[in-house]
Amino acid sequence: MQHGQDLFEVHCDDCHEQANPDLKKQPPRLEGLFRSKTLPSGAPATDNQVRKTIVEGLGTMPAFDRRLSEKDLNDLIQYLHTLK
Amino acid sequence: MGRALQRSAVASAATLLLLGAACQPKTKQYSFRGQVLAKDETANELTVKHGDIPGFMPAMTMPYKVKDPGAVEEVEAGDVIVADLIAANQGKDYWLEGIRIVDQSGRKTAEPAAARHILKVGESVPDIRLINQDGMPFHFSDFKGKAVLVTFIYTRCPMPAFCPRLSSQFSKIHEDLAKTPGDYNRTHLLTISFDPKYDTAPVLRRYGLAYLDNHSEGFSHWDFASTNPADMRKLADAFGLQYFEQDNQISHTMDIVLVAPNGTVARYWSSEWTAAELEEALRREAKPAPADSSPGRHGVKG
Repeated sequence: MQHGQDLFEVHCDDCHEQANPDLKKQPPRLEGLFRSKTLPSGAPATDNQVRKTIVEGLGTMPAFDRRLSEKDLNDLIQYLHTLK
Repeated sequence: MGRALQRSAVASAATLLLLGAACQPKTKQYSFRGQVLAKDETANELTVKHGDIPGFMPAMTMPYKVKDPGAVEEVEAGDVIVADLIAANQGKDYWLEGIRIVDQSGRKTAEPAAARHILKVGESVPDIRLINQDGMPFHFSDFKGKAVLVTFIYTRCPMPAFCPRLSSQFSKIHEDLAKTPGDYNRTHLLTISFDPKYDTAPVLRRYGLAYLDNHSEGFSHWDFASTNPADMRKLADAFGLQYFEQDNQISHTMDIVLVAPNGTVARYWSSEWTAAELEEALRREAKPAPADSSPGRHGVKG
């Protein structure tokens, strides 16, 4: 779980958890991401959909393609499930 | 100096607490360790290759301002240093303090700075062929008669203060210029990716649309382009852009170039700039009779 949290702090936290004037749009906070049936984009709130968003990017969110291993992605998604 | 600032931050926090304010301390401090690849005594900067800095940024090579007086003179390329990385203004401003050299054995093996000619203000931009977001080839010379604001990004850049900032600020400039048809028609924005392997035309189109609020007609004023790796190197050398790939992440400097309507470099910016400043310079450069309104020389290279 610690690995997922470390990845979250390095890759996600700066944009999703803090108001950042450098960004064109403030991205959604990620607490409770899997609580609703849909993601903020309207897509189903499933592991596969979140994985797709991380890997391919969405809107101004950069793609993390080729930068995170399968294990990284699994650990990160597992950590996202714990954010209440 | 690091301790002094830390004390000052603690003092500020204590003061805020006394005042009952719900503010956060204005600075954050991170442990920093990395190898110096280059130094710039004039700018008081060190370019350092470092590992992950949890909560601030992933492993990267990039320039850092240094607060310690004389530290840049003492440090040499190849040295491994430790320091305090201080981040302020939500990470927008950051610098190193309390630098200590912990290993000098790399001094002799450090790569020398590449010998290259960075274009001076007034020199012509190389007429390199680029491919835009629609897969259409074009050249710099196609913009003759227009003032062009050029910057460099890669779409996978995860650092909000880097490529996302450049693109969001260019987006503001684009929206502002659209309100003034005269200036809009005399100017152009050009975002060039230095990651052509990944940033193909469809990827650039999707990226560009996000910054154009899905208004594809905006591409007529703002191109997102790439070129082949060899020409990208030529272009980077001409504009003083530094970038290199490491573990699928690209370390790079932030560079913005204003190209005059006659195809020559008019001005450079690297670190300190605002969208308003860029926009004003772009509008001024695009004016039909700029004889006595030459821009300043802020950030001039070479």
